[in-house]
Amino acid sequence: MSAEPTLQELRELVAEFQPGKGHVLPALHKVQHHYGYIMRPAIEVIARQLNSTPALIYGALSFYADFRTEPLGKSDVMWCSGPTCRLLGGDKIREAMQQVLQLPLGGVSEDGCYGFRLGQCNGTCSEAPQVWLNDRVVGNLTVASAIRLAREVKARQ
Amino acid sequence: MNIQLDSIIAKARQDWADFQTNGKPKVTVCIDTSSEARGAQETLAAVKAEVARLHLDADIGISGSWGFNWMEPTVSVRTGAGTRTVLYANITADRVPEFLQRTLVEGGDMPELALGVVEGNATPEIALLADHPFMQGQVRRLMANLGMIDPENITHYLAHRGYAGLAKALDMSDEAIVKEMLDSGVGGRGGANFPVGRKWDFLRAATAQPKYLVCNADEGDPGAWVNRTLLEGDPHLIIEGLMIAARASGAREAYVYIRHEYPLAFRRMQHAIKQAEAIGLLGTNILGLDWDFDVIAVLGAGSYVCGDETGLIASIDGYRGMPRIKPPFPAQAGLWNKPTNVNNVESYANAPLILREGAAWWCNVNPPDQPEKGTKMFSLSGQIKWPGCFEVPFGSGTIRHMLDQYGGGMREGSVIKGYQPGGPLSGILPASDLDLPAQLGSFRERGMFFGGGGLLFFDQRTSILDLALWMTSFCEDESCGRCTTCHGGTQRAVETLRRIAGGGGRDTDLDKLQGLVQTLLWSNCQHGQLSPTAVKTAIKFFRPEFESLIRDKVDPTRSLPGFIKYVVRSQTDEHLPAALEICPTSAVIEENGVYHIEEPLCIRCGACKEVAPNAIEIRDRIPAFTAAEAAGG
Repeated sequence: MSAEPTLQELRELVAEFQPGKGHVLPALHKVQHHYGYIMRPAIEVIARQLNSTPALIYGALSFYADFRTEPLGKSDVMWCSGPTCRLLGGDKIREAMQQVLQLPLGGVSEDGCYGFRLGQCNGTCSEAPQVWLNDRVVGNLTVASAIRLAREVKARQ
Repeated sequence: MNIQLDSIIAKARQDWADFQTNGKPKVTVCIDTSSEARGAQETLAAVKAEVARLHLDADIGISGSWGFNWMEPTVSVRTGAGTRTVLYANITADRVPEFLQRTLVEGGDMPELALGVVEGNATPEIALLADHPFMQGQVRRLMANLGMIDPENITHYLAHRGYAGLAKALDMSDEAIVKEMLDSGVGGRGGANFPVGRKWDFLRAATAQPKYLVCNADEGDPGAWVNRTLLEGDPHLIIEGLMIAARASGAREAYVYIRHEYPLAFRRMQHAIKQAEAIGLLGTNILGLDWDFDVIAVLGAGSYVCGDETGLIASIDGYRGMPRIKPPFPAQAGLWNKPTNVNNVESYANAPLILREGAAWWCNVNPPDQPEKGTKMFSLSGQIKWPGCFEVPFGSGTIRHMLDQYGGGMREGSVIKGYQPGGPLSGILPASDLDLPAQLGSFRERGMFFGGGGLLFFDQRTSILDLALWMTSFCEDESCGRCTTCHGGTQRAVETLRRIAGGGGRDTDLDKLQGLVQTLLWSNCQHGQLSPTAVKTAIKFFRPEFESLIRDKVDPTRSLPGFIKYVVRSQTDEHLPAALEICPTSAVIEENGVYHIEEPLCIRCGACKEVAPNAIEIRDRIPAFTAAEAAGG
């Protein structure tokens, strides 16, 4: 993961956005897309750029599940919380994977190598129960195969 | 008739005709989120590589989804002469070499993987696609282009009567467009069925400027993907609908708010907007007229309550997406406090059809006295054979018919126990209600709603308590936090349901939950008001199951962790070491060759039984709690 950007880099990144045009979400998305997360200085830079306040920008950021202020794990496991997955044992899969990874939902390992977080259903229910490993669907899991996957992720460097 | 639009359409038709008659065979891979999950991108790459390797002269293209989500990747092959197109299923990358050898090189069919003949005659081996059980009875109007055109190519859309509805609207007054919409009877597709024409008329009548349109593509109900299918498969249909709405209402800008979980839908919408701008369909002085209109795609960031129109507006404005109290309604004070109309994706997408073909045609699939008009897309999920997406006359048939005809019935070993329409804010119904007509009134009578198009079917192994807990937890997680009734009420409901699931149910719990149902009705927005629907209907329709859990301390589904334990029943099974190895909490213990499961360590995940099914068994566990309760605790 690259070092934190300078203020100048951040200012340039969000220079296209303007006040009063609904640019808060797009600006936050752009920073997160670029750096993988939204660092504290970016909140102040965006606030200044949009004639807003850090409180309002952070207030918005913290409302939405998909904005994060810390990087994801290098191996990012996103567990599908959808109903079909649930009917097919998804909650047991979550419990078991969390036991292996020793992480809460939203947690990242201390070395940053792996993380575990909650994902929402996007309608790929033919693959249920599923997780996304670095945005790729790993589907038709069983509890045992999910445990093996979690162990493999944990062993990666 | 607008001359510029006329010539744009004429040119597109010519380009399409040239493309169709260029003598090259065409291989088209369905690329959408569902097919990508099953490897469609790899299939597309393999097709390209194989065509290059064999030096074949073929057009390789992409399309939106036919709806056969469970059989992706689907690929269609059209002969060079253009006389025959066949759709195939499950064309994974590893099958591509043989597939192309038999179809493109040898010029034959591959019947064992064929879904049906799209164009041309059926053969003894391959029936017409229209005769596939999944396609029978479908009336594909919104989905007409899905599978047929490249969603990233505006020429394809224009050549398939795209923007012809807009052409009609350009020759009509704003009032005439509204009247056509009202005559059609089209209702809001998000679930409320409020007349779309009336909403447009509110905006038309508003005097403040500028006015805005918002397209609600924040399809947050888990298990619903009808809007995604349309956004990914035919984005121009939605843009055209927005343009017609703008002609009717005088709106200057439209915002398409797409949930973060749909990145492909967002990219395709952005791309479609750029294409429309490039040929002068969006921007300033559109088609040489004194008309300025822009469409902007907005990417959400993960919040279910942004599906509420005022929450959605707050989110576009750049604030926390918290729903607010109405009035004022968005038609008076919406985006930036200006008049705004919010409709669902499908609501806008119907407008081009209504304008192009007329209101009378549009509702000719429904009985006149039925409030549900036009066609409606649905997606089915759960323990069914065919989790897919389809379109039928709205209000036709029963739920059982949907399950059997379009869901393929329940999976092997699954017996239907009930179903759940409309997402986590709606309710749970028993199998005895499968014969309800697929109409709004059926569900209103049962204290819930039909929703935006998602239906979940569950089997005998499903714990009603667990399903209600899942739905209520979702509502708790997604509560915006404004009303204490909602964020505190859902929290309390979840705590109580969790306690029951853990074996600690009390005789007073059902009354307490009913009390919460009443309290939550005092929340300001529908999220809070509807969040107890799951609990309310679960208790109403499945009361004996709750009583069994609370009073008898028995879980009839043998799935809730508080009510079961795993025990070793055979010490001689060869799979026991594997059970020990797989256990994530080291609860399977071996001492001097004797295995047992240490109950306090066991999380009841069932992995050990999965790998050693004959050595491990599930037994009822009388929750420890009961003894304390019996002693007056």
